[in-house]
Order: sequence, then structure tokens, then C-alpha cells
Amino acid sequence: MTRTRLATVAYSAVSIVLFAFFVFPVYWMVNTSLQPNNEIRGSDLHFWPDNLTLRNYETVLFDPGRTPFLPAAGNSLTVTVLTVVIALVFAFLASVAVTRFRFASRRAFIITILVVQMIPGEAMIVSVFRVIDGWHLLNTIAGLTLVYVATVLPFTIWTLRGFVNGVPVELEEAAMIDGCSRAGAFWRVTFPLLAPGLVATGVFGFIQAWNEFIMALVLNARPEMMTLPVWLRTFLVANGTTNWAGLMAGSTLMAIPVIVFFLVVQGRMTSGLVSGAVKG
Amino acid sequence: MTTVDTTGPDLAPSAGEGRRPAPPRPTRAGRPRDPRARRARRGGLTPYALLTPALIVLALIVGWPLVQLVVTSFQEFGRAQVFGAPPAWVWFENYADVLTDPVFHGVLVRSLAFAAACVVTTMLFGTLVALMMTRLTKFFRMLLSIGMLLAWAMPALTATVVWGWMFDTAYGVVNHVLVNWFGLAEYFQHSWLIDPLSFFLVAGLIIVWGAVPFVAFTLYAGLTQVPDEVLEAAQLDGAGGVARFRLIVFPYLKPIFLIVTILQIIWDLRVFTQIFALQDIGGIRALTSTLGVYIYQTSIAGGDFGHGGAIAVITAILLMSISIFYIRHLAKEEEL
Amino acid sequence: MRKLGIAALGAAAALTLAGCASGGEAAPEEGAEIRVWLVGTDTPDAAREYLVETFEEEHPGSTLVIEEQSWDGLVDRLTTSLSGSDSPDVVEVGNTQASAFTSAGAFLDLTEYYDELGGDDLLPGFVEAGSYDGRFYAAPLYSGSRLVFYKKDALAAAGLSVPTTLDEYIANGEALAAANPGKSGIWWPGQDWYNALPYIWENGGEVAVPDGDQWDAQLSSPDSVAGLEQVQQVMTTASRAPKDANETSPEVGFCDGTTLQLSAPSWVKWSILAPADAEAPGCPDQEENLGVYALPGIDGGAAQVFAGGSNVGVSAKSAHPELAVDALKIILSDGFQTIYGENGLVPAKLSLADTLGADEVAQAIAAAAGNAKLTPASPKWADVEAAGILQDLFVEIAQGGDVQALAEAADEEIEAILNS
Repeated sequence: MTRTRLATVAYSAVSIVLFAFFVFPVYWMVNTSLQPNNEIRGSDLHFWPDNLTLRNYETVLFDPGRTPFLPAAGNSLTVTVLTVVIALVFAFLASVAVTRFRFASRRAFIITILVVQMIPGEAMIVSVFRVIDGWHLLNTIAGLTLVYVATVLPFTIWTLRGFVNGVPVELEEAAMIDGCSRAGAFWRVTFPLLAPGLVATGVFGFIQAWNEFIMALVLNARPEMMTLPVWLRTFLVANGTTNWAGLMAGSTLMAIPVIVFFLVVQGRMTSGLVSGAVKG
Repeated sequence: MTTVDTTGPDLAPSAGEGRRPAPPRPTRAGRPRDPRARRARRGGLTPYALLTPALIVLALIVGWPLVQLVVTSFQEFGRAQVFGAPPAWVWFENYADVLTDPVFHGVLVRSLAFAAACVVTTMLFGTLVALMMTRLTKFFRMLLSIGMLLAWAMPALTATVVWGWMFDTAYGVVNHVLVNWFGLAEYFQHSWLIDPLSFFLVAGLIIVWGAVPFVAFTLYAGLTQVPDEVLEAAQLDGAGGVARFRLIVFPYLKPIFLIVTILQIIWDLRVFTQIFALQDIGGIRALTSTLGVYIYQTSIAGGDFGHGGAIAVITAILLMSISIFYIRHLAKEEEL
Repeated sequence: MRKLGIAALGAAAALTLAGCASGGEAAPEEGAEIRVWLVGTDTPDAAREYLVETFEEEHPGSTLVIEEQSWDGLVDRLTTSLSGSDSPDVVEVGNTQASAFTSAGAFLDLTEYYDELGGDDLLPGFVEAGSYDGRFYAAPLYSGSRLVFYKKDALAAAGLSVPTTLDEYIANGEALAAANPGKSGIWWPGQDWYNALPYIWENGGEVAVPDGDQWDAQLSSPDSVAGLEQVQQVMTTASRAPKDANETSPEVGFCDGTTLQLSAPSWVKWSILAPADAEAPGCPDQEENLGVYALPGIDGGAAQVFAGGSNVGVSAKSAHPELAVDALKIILSDGFQTIYGENGLVPAKLSLADTLGADEVAQAIAAAAGNAKLTPASPKWADVEAAGILQDLFVEIAQGGDVQALAEAADEEIEAILNS
């Protein structure tokens, strides 16, 4: 008994150390963002913002000399939401095709999906730029969304395929015995069971679209069409002085939506999991 | 229900696969469900119709540029060609140049070594954390999960900027703590990014820090599906911890391991943002570029799209050959 | 070439038609938006306002938007943006980067406007940087010299005076560093390669010289190495700056007292004197203590310093080339250029040199500008910069590496790019 207890205490201690390791950078980001810019460069370090100021946030949000945060956030949010929704719909259709049907080029398709992910995207920047430019979609939400959908689709299809596979086809068949059409059976029985899978893949698409910055840098060069990562980088490579406090405030603002999204999505995932049918 | 369980299904890819080796379970029809017996249908044109939207997008944004990339890799394609001058065909000259270029060799070796180090560390660390999570009380599991969730949610660029700031030469918290708390005076104004090895240590730390949560959550979700009875039975038979893991837990998790490892390999070999942004902060570009960054520097910054294209094609072939065993495994499975 | 030919022809035709239209006339295209890319914060706000107001006054209904870009990654962004249909109309580019774009056909041919834009009054070195194959593509925008800023009290306390030769300057830096442990006698972060050029040039060395149709990199020549060794001496004994940092934020060390001298672009004066509570805080209380002089040469006089600065061109893909050229004319007008002079930057026109004023800084600028020099005039030079070869070289030199071996390796890399 004591051995178990000792082990529990040891594990708890280790988990606290790990917690600190994972959280400290996030904490340090917030801590720095709340201090006056001249203080973080001083010889003393402030382990918490004893001289608390929101000035950096003010600068980041409202300084007329900078590309403003809000339009960039708006662009990022629009592109990300559109990407997630469109990619999920397209990927869902494709994953149904590859799991529930047998057709000539099925294997080729799945392997292509996997292989596509191995091509370094940096090399295709200029080709993609030309394609998007050809349709006059530079500096538009639509152009960037299109590129992001294509970027996340392979992984999304691949992932959803696993989830659709996990729902026994017998469930659908049973529903069909009860008088549903094939499509109806799929829609009523299988689709609800896929909710956790859709959420999980949606999370992936969200992270990708929210974080991507090289394509955004090239495709949406107009300041009013910037996304958040590009906006954040303007701080990092700003001429003259790296404004670390402002940079941390900007980073915090950029990270918050992702954290919030993760927290919201979790509840959904729980209910999906607990429903048990998927778990079997 | 704690955060852990909820993030669990993020094992996205593994969810389906991970379940497959689970013991047969009765279905409504009362017969054991064997996935191999799953009946797929021939649906005429339906599957093609379902694939169309995805195929169109992929053909336009991936397929066509890919063709252009390969074509470019056989041409002398510089900035003048970007602005409309006709390119000259040089066929395999770009490939010959790249393959005999010691700089490329350096980049290649560096990328492979760095990716290998990152993958091994991430998998090892992630597995240990996942195993530990099964032993924690609910409170500590939740605490750890929240910590990992925060790290996981941090965008790669943001994470790099923050770590870069922590390792800042003059005002970074790391140097401060080493000097003032541990009395290591040599770390006063110590530059962490100047020495390539140390640069990659920091870069690796950023990558592992961001990747462990994904691995740990995924494996933990897989672990919760190993039936307790199986573990208990093993314990009664006197199997030790390591043996238990190797003989009983690992086979259950194998598909998850496979897929997570492949993903880590692909991601770590293609790593771009962290290296690119960290080079903005400090370090010697020529000694710290990895494949992705090198392709960018050659093509976009250097204006040499021919060689850049050749490097990209070589990289893609390399990635494919590394994951070929997985592709074959997958292909076999798809034949069922 | 097809595409470019047609575009250029069309543009040229349009320009000939609009050629006689001067500012007062109504704009040929109402409601157009002209996008101007200015890089960095060097161009003062007053100049920006002047440009927007003047343009919109001369072209009622049209608007001019200034989009500020960062120097970092500029070549990357110009490569893509200028080639697209949504190209900015007027773009600033570093003088050493200009030839990468003039040679590629990215800019509109401005030869016929040469006289109208200022003709031989334009800074000759910059006209050269903006020309290719006998055609004029990118006009000078401004030039900025590098000056030495120093703390008067520190120099006095060490019993030193303003140096008159390069050797004396180095000796001063070392003496200051020795007398003030932990402080930089000459602040010099490792990536700052611009500052190293005078040492190479003053010792008779070169970065690269043309050799037929090839380039011959010269960093490992005995003269260059002598200069590089001096650089190493300063970086290791006089400087306490991080060996791998870049040259941003020079005012931080100056204001917290750890930097006693530094060589930097002339506008750094305004960073140092910025309000203490600014976003990038300065130390206005140091105004009295802030001294400035031009870097002395090896035999006295002003050293040959790097003539940093910018060119400005019109995108070949501009949707409104006439309006863009009109905007360019405003940028090169005396009114606009005078604002540069008043803010310590050398205007694009020789005749406006006196707008710099007559104070200590102005004299130092004039002295430095009189002896300024450029990087090798190759279209591929921008790629050498983009590859960060020189940054890397000096980071390694700062760490005390073997200068000869490092210079040879760098020469190889530079030649590989310039002769590719």
C-alpha cells in the first residue's frame, strides 16, 4: 500500500514539473506582455508583472502607425472558418467514397492523398501564386481559403477515413432493414457517430489555417488583407527595434482564439465519445 | 470527465485504426464483427461524384503547381523568368548540381539528423507522459492536460517567438536564471543560437514541446482502450512493467504508434516555421537551414527556381522512400 | 519574353500619350488607387503626408496608399508581388537589391523621364544602381550614411578625443572597453556586415571585382584580410554586443549605458532621442552627451563607408503606369526630397545637399557621403545578401574564427552565386 502511495506521490510530483515545463513559456509570454517595454529590457527580471500595464495591448490594437490587429484577426478568422467548413464537407464526401464504395482507382487515390503530404509546400509557392493570380484571387479571402482547403484536405480525408471505417457498416444495414434508404441510413445512423471525428479533423484544419504564414505572406501582401501570423511577423522583423513586449502582446492575442477554440471543442468531443457507440 | 479524455479523440487518424485490433465484439446481428468482412459496394458513379469536389481542389492547387514544379526543376528558371522571359531547358543539370553540392549534403544530413532526434525524443517523451497519465489521480491528470493543451494550442510561430525571447542573449529568462540562481557566470550574455548545435537544441526544444501533447493525448486515448482485465491478468502472471508494456500494451497501440510516428517524421522533416522564425531571431543561416528553409532560400529569396525545384523534388522522393514501408502496409490493407 | 514585351510596349505607348500631361491636368483615370511600397521607417511621416496630399490634389478622385514593408524578406516579397496582377505601383528597393529587379524586367523603363525626374542632378551612384543595359529603371530615393555616435562624457573620462584615423578609432574603442568593464567601446553585433565594409575598403580590399563576364570575390585577398582582421579585433576586444545579434535596437545599449560608441545609420540619432516612454524608448536626457562624427579613414579624412540607401521604381505590371510615374515625380520633387534632408537623410538630388543643415550631424553626413561606396554592381548581389553569406561570415569572425579560412569559404559562396 505504501509503495502504491509513494508511487502516486512521485507521479504527482513529476506531473507538476511537466505542467511547469509546458505552461512556463505561455506564462512568460503573458507576463512579458503585461510589463512596460523599457522594464523587460532592464537588468532585473520581473517574474510577475508587478508594474502591470495594458499599454502593449493598446499599442498592438490601436496604434495607428501599425497594421491594425482587428482586420488581420478578422481575415484570419474568416479564412480559418471557411477552410474548416469547406475542407470538412469535401473530405467527408471523399472519405465516404473511399470507405463505403469499391471502385477502380480507390487505392491510387488513397496513396496519392498520402504522398501529396510529402511535397514541401515552400517549393510550390510561386506556382501556387501564379495559379491564384491567374484567377485574380490575390489579396482575397477566397484565394487564400482555396489554398488552405487544398493544404488540409489530404490529411483531413485520410483522418476521416479512419473514423468512417470505425463505424460498422452493419449499423447502417440494420437501419435499412428498418426501412431507411441507403443514404437515409447513412445520414441517420453513421453521420451522428462521426461527430467526434469531424471535430477532431476540424481541430487540425483550424490549427493549420490559423497558423500558416508563408502562403499568406506571399498571396495576401496588402496590409488590409494580412492574416495574423503575417501581422505578427511584421513585429518580429520590424525595422529598427524589436518590440518584445508588443510582440508578446501580439502573440497572446493570436494564441487566445486557438485556446478558446480547443476548450469549446472539448465538450463536444466528450459527449461524442461518451455516447459509446463508436467506442463499441 | 477531464480534459484528457476529451482531447483523446484527437488521435484523429488513429481513432479508426487504433480500434481495429480490439477484440471482436458482438453486433446486433449477434455475430462477431470482423472488419475484414466489411462489405464495400460498387456504387457506379456515386463514389466518383463524392470525390469530385476534393479532386478538383487538389488538382488545381496541388496537382497543377506540382507539374509546374517538376517542369521548372528541368529548366534554368530565375527571376527574369518569373517576369516573363522564356526559360531554357537544362534537363538534369539542376539535379546534378544539387546532388553534387556540398551545401545541399550539409542541409540533407542536418535535416535527417535533426528530424530523427526530434521524432525519437517526441515519441519517447510522449509515450512516457501517456503512460504516466494512466497512473495519475484525476486532479493531477487534469492539471497536466491543461498544461499540455496550452502548449499544443500555441501557434508554431508564436511558440518560436516566445522561446526565442526566453533564450534571448541579453534579456532572456534562461540566461538570467542560470546566472543568478545557479551561479553559472559563463551564461551571462550567452548566445544560444550562434552555435549550430545549440541552435538546434533550442529549435528541437520548441518542436518537442509543441509535439509531445499531440503524441501523449493520442497514445493516452489508445491506452484507455486497453481492457483493464488484460492488464490485470498480465499483472497476476507476474509480468514486470516493461514486459507488460512490450507484450500486452504495445500490440494494442501499434497502429497508433505507426501512424503517429509517420506523421512526426513527415512533419519534422518538413519543419519550416520554427527554423525560419528562429533564424530571424539569431543564428547562422548557412549552418542552420533545414530542407524546407533551404528550398525557400534557394527559390524565393535567391531567385533560383530551377535548383529550388530540383531540391524540392529530391526532398519529396526522400520522404516517400522513408515512408514507403508504411505506404506498402497501407496498400496491402486497402486490398482487403 | 513575349508577355513582357507586350506589357512593356503597351506601357510605353501609354506613357508616350501621357508624357505631355503635367501635374495640373485632370488624371486620365479617375478613381484609381496607387499603391506605394515604402520600406522601413526611414521615410519621415511628413514626407508620407506630403506625397499623399500632393498626389491626391493633383489627381482628384484618385487615391494614393502607402504600404509600409519591412527590409527583412523584401526581395522575396518583391519577387512574387511585382510579378502578379495585383502588383504595387511604386516600390522602394534597397540600392544593392535594385539590379536583381531592373535586370529581370520587373520595373517600367523610365529612361524617357530621366531628365524630368532630375537628370544629372540625381545621385550618380544610385542612378547606376537603378540602371541596366543602358536603360534607366529605378530612380534614387535617398541615401543614408553611417556615422559614429558616442557618449561625450565617456570619451572625456577616458582622456580620449575624437579619432582622426581608423587605427586611432579602434584604439579608442579598445581603451573605452578596457576602462569600462562590461561595456562596449564600439558596439558591434556580429550580423552587422555593413559596418565592416569600410575596414575592407580602407585597407585596399574589395568584396568582389568584375573579371571579364565573371566576378572574382576578393574577401580573402591580403588587403581584405587585413581589414577583416581589424574587424575581428574590434568585435572581440572593443565590443560586448552579442556575437550573433543583428544591428537592430542600437539605442537600447546606448540608453542603458552599456554602449559607449557605435556606428549606425544617421537616423539612429532619432531612435536615441526618442521619448523615454515611447514604444521603442530612447533617452532624450542624453541629448547633450550625444556626440557624432564620420568614421575616419586609414590615412585620416572620412573613411569610404557603405552608401546605404534606396531606389524607387514603377512596377512593370502597374495597372496605372501614368499615375504611378506621376507619383514618382512627386517623390523626386524638391518638396518631398527636402523633407529627407531635414531629417538627416541624404536627398536623391545633389542640389539639395544643403537641406541637411549645418550642424555636427550634417557635417558628418556630408563628410561620409562624399566618400561613400557601393557593393558589387551585379544583378545577383541581392541574392548574396538574401542568402545571408556576409551576416554568417561576420558572426563567425566575431567569435574569433580563422579569418583567412572563413574569407576563402565566403569567397567561394559569393562567386557561386554571382557567377551562377
